[in-house]
Amino acid sequence: MSCKPGEPCHEGVKRRRALAVLGLMGIIFLALSGVSFINSRGQVVPSKVTYAGFDAVRGKRVFQSYNCMGCHTVVGNGAYFGPDLTKLYAGVGPAWLEAFLPSAGAWPTSGAVKLQLQDKAIAAEAGVDTIEAYLEKYPAAAERINRRGGKSTHMPNLPFSRDDVHELVAFLKYTSEMNTEGWPPVPKVDGLTFAQATPMPVAARQAALSPAEGAGPAAATPISASAHGAELAEENGCTACHAKDRQRLVGPGWGGLYGSTVKLADGSSVVADDAYLTEKILKPDAKVVAGFEAGVMPSFAEILDADQIKDVVAYIRSLGGN
Amino acid sequence: MFRIEYRTQRLSLRFFMVMLVLFFFQTALGLLLSAQHLDPTLLAGTLNFNVIRTQHLNLAIFWVLCGFIGTILFVGPLLSKRELASPWLIKFLFYALLAVVVWNLATQMLAQQGIAGWWMGQPLLQEGLEYLEAGRIADVVILIGFAILCYVVLRTFPPVSQWNEIHWGLGLGVLALTLVWIFGMFFVERLDLQEYFRWYVVHYWVEGVWEVIHISLVGFLLVLLFKADVKSVGYAVFWGISLVWLSGLIGNAHHYFWIGTPEFWQFWGSLFSALEPLPLIFCFWHIYLDAHQDGKPIPNMPAFAFLLGSVVLEQVGAGILGFTMTFALTNVWSHGTWVTASHAHLALFGTFGMLGLAAAYYAVPIMRGVTNFDQRPGKLAFWLVFTGMLGLGFAFAIGGTVQVFVYRTLGLDWFGGDIGPAMLFSKALVPLFGLVFAAGVCLIAYDLLTLGLREPSAAAGAAEAPAPAGWGGHLTGWETGIWLLGMWVFGAIITLGLLSFNLRTVQEGNALIPYVMGGTGYPGLLLVTLFFVRRFLRSLEARGHARAAPPVSAAAAPAGA
Repeated sequence: MSCKPGEPCHEGVKRRRALAVLGLMGIIFLALSGVSFINSRGQVVPSKVTYAGFDAVRGKRVFQSYNCMGCHTVVGNGAYFGPDLTKLYAGVGPAWLEAFLPSAGAWPTSGAVKLQLQDKAIAAEAGVDTIEAYLEKYPAAAERINRRGGKSTHMPNLPFSRDDVHELVAFLKYTSEMNTEGWPPVPKVDGLTFAQATPMPVAARQAALSPAEGAGPAAATPISASAHGAELAEENGCTACHAKDRQRLVGPGWGGLYGSTVKLADGSSVVADDAYLTEKILKPDAKVVAGFEAGVMPSFAEILDADQIKDVVAYIRSLGGN
Repeated sequence: MFRIEYRTQRLSLRFFMVMLVLFFFQTALGLLLSAQHLDPTLLAGTLNFNVIRTQHLNLAIFWVLCGFIGTILFVGPLLSKRELASPWLIKFLFYALLAVVVWNLATQMLAQQGIAGWWMGQPLLQEGLEYLEAGRIADVVILIGFAILCYVVLRTFPPVSQWNEIHWGLGLGVLALTLVWIFGMFFVERLDLQEYFRWYVVHYWVEGVWEVIHISLVGFLLVLLFKADVKSVGYAVFWGISLVWLSGLIGNAHHYFWIGTPEFWQFWGSLFSALEPLPLIFCFWHIYLDAHQDGKPIPNMPAFAFLLGSVVLEQVGAGILGFTMTFALTNVWSHGTWVTASHAHLALFGTFGMLGLAAAYYAVPIMRGVTNFDQRPGKLAFWLVFTGMLGLGFAFAIGGTVQVFVYRTLGLDWFGGDIGPAMLFSKALVPLFGLVFAAGVCLIAYDLLTLGLREPSAAAGAAEAPAPAGWGGHLTGWETGIWLLGMWVFGAIITLGLLSFNLRTVQEGNALIPYVMGGTGYPGLLLVTLFFVRRFLRSLEARGHARAAPPVSAAAAPAGA
């Protein structure tokens, strides 16, 4: 394929022939592309997907705004630092995602997911309204709660607004409905029960398979109100957003909070006493603290009864303050 | 030889210098990323992984482009036998490039707050799409920059009727560079359609445009280094470009397997992208022929070492590793894992990065008027970055193989609890080889930034040539073919290893076959590559020794006829 000096190389002719073949290939490529995106193929489009009244297109904008592809992959493209998100919605369901995203630094507990199911719109999207039925319908959520619930994740907390969260879930609903030609491949074995292969320690696996074991004896022994409050805060996912010290995770830290004067977003201030803390747990959007956004914290009115709230407040009190 | 012929060639110097600075920062960010892989809490919340990774990718693109622009500006006047057109536009291009790099550095940070600057449906500040993270404002400035480059190149070139194949390659290359960029300048609602167009930019850039510019520039650098005949090299450039485009146009389909596009792409993508290594084998063969057309010693070894590294890593990283994962049946496993990162690092840095470094090592001494510079730092730096990058490729490939098994076959998806610990060994290898690589980068940057400005070392030019026997013996075409065959044999083992994930025994949880094949194939391929380059360079260095004796052989020259 070499042309020696002095020989006629017929470059012009060859160049034209090559361009003609290239043109032919271009036509094939464009024809295939045209067929790929016609409506009759039945591929789902984001403008037709809604989730609890939120639009998947807006979700895609949120997805890009936070550069999610810079850590995760979607349809396999991205950064391989975090898991692929394409079929996540189908596996974990909307309530788990709603519980996870606002406080992404910690894995949701079953209480946190249960709380999301109180929302009628989310429950309707999930197709179930009890946590038991939810965990049965979405085994990936059950696996995450059992093995990881309450632990910290490798994802930083991101400043998602409430709408951002809903829209992102809408986008993930869209991607999980996409036909991706069988990718990712479906595993034929369950890695969790695969003794030689799983890198998970045996002890953790046993704990995962019997999650309720430790709860019995603990409930039988009488414990102090603040210790009970600490348990409740853990179970219901409060600690995913509120640190024990003054550190800001998603919401304000609880350390030193009790009895302190809190500045509110409307400019007034209020003392963080029993009444204020109880009200915040029941109606979180009533008095928004300066520097924080309304709508991020859900109401616990349907989840915790008056005694339990008292215990949680007692726990917050025990974490110090005036 | 050691003087520039045209005054405006000197404009390339500033692009080479910026290239070195950006290269240094890109490497530093890469090291930081590898540290974050080991400890994900490192700087989390302050400098999140996604922001740093974006910079790592974008700086890579920017410095590779700097290398291209520098090289084009340096060879442009030589190709055209006249000064560059509109030097003031090139100066403007330079400052626009600096501004865009700094602007993009700043706006990418906004991803941590979720600010994209939406205006009229377009993200002005940053858009969170892999490789195309730059926001619309930066996109427009970059487009203007490409247009300036096109204008300068085409105005400098002689009339089309006098173009040789290198003019055609570069002319079409810079035009396509500009046109393809436009496909990344729109927000697309559908994920499948967005990915479809994203690969227009990413794939057609590397496979269609950069490859073409690469072939043309390698061709012309060979002409300059070896006084090879423009016509015969040009003819090789013609075939190279034809093969690149004829395989790469439909070859883009290998990105359309799993993004929501129809199944038929799996056929077209597997078929055509399997042909994509052909032009690379051709290019590989040609560098052998041109280096052996006469037995003269090579005056500038670092420049040739990087040029050889570029062509060889193109063969190994883009050609062979690309081939292993280009079939739907292997890609279904490799897709979305570290296996692809191995290919990407070797191919992108190897092919395009090393070309820019080769051109810099060729051009900078000439522009600084240095007749006899100390070549030892350059040669040492080459070996550091070359070994470091092969090591990185190995670490990513092995980590990827483990990831495929744990993530896809066992179905474990807890990155912190299951997958991260399983990949820990490879994750630890990355910063290790990264440090070797970074040492090389520092040395290159120091050497080229100060070349001709610092006091020449006492021993400059005193390096003795190795004996023309053993590693330094004459490299025949047959032997080169055997080395190439060796690379492909290990490439075949890797391919079969990826294919073995489809076997029932593997799917039932037995990782033995893919682990053994990956564990043989990857190190085998990378070691053959390492030793081949050593063999090639030693045999050329031995020519200095051989000069006293009768020339070993000049018979290799007509071998390609």
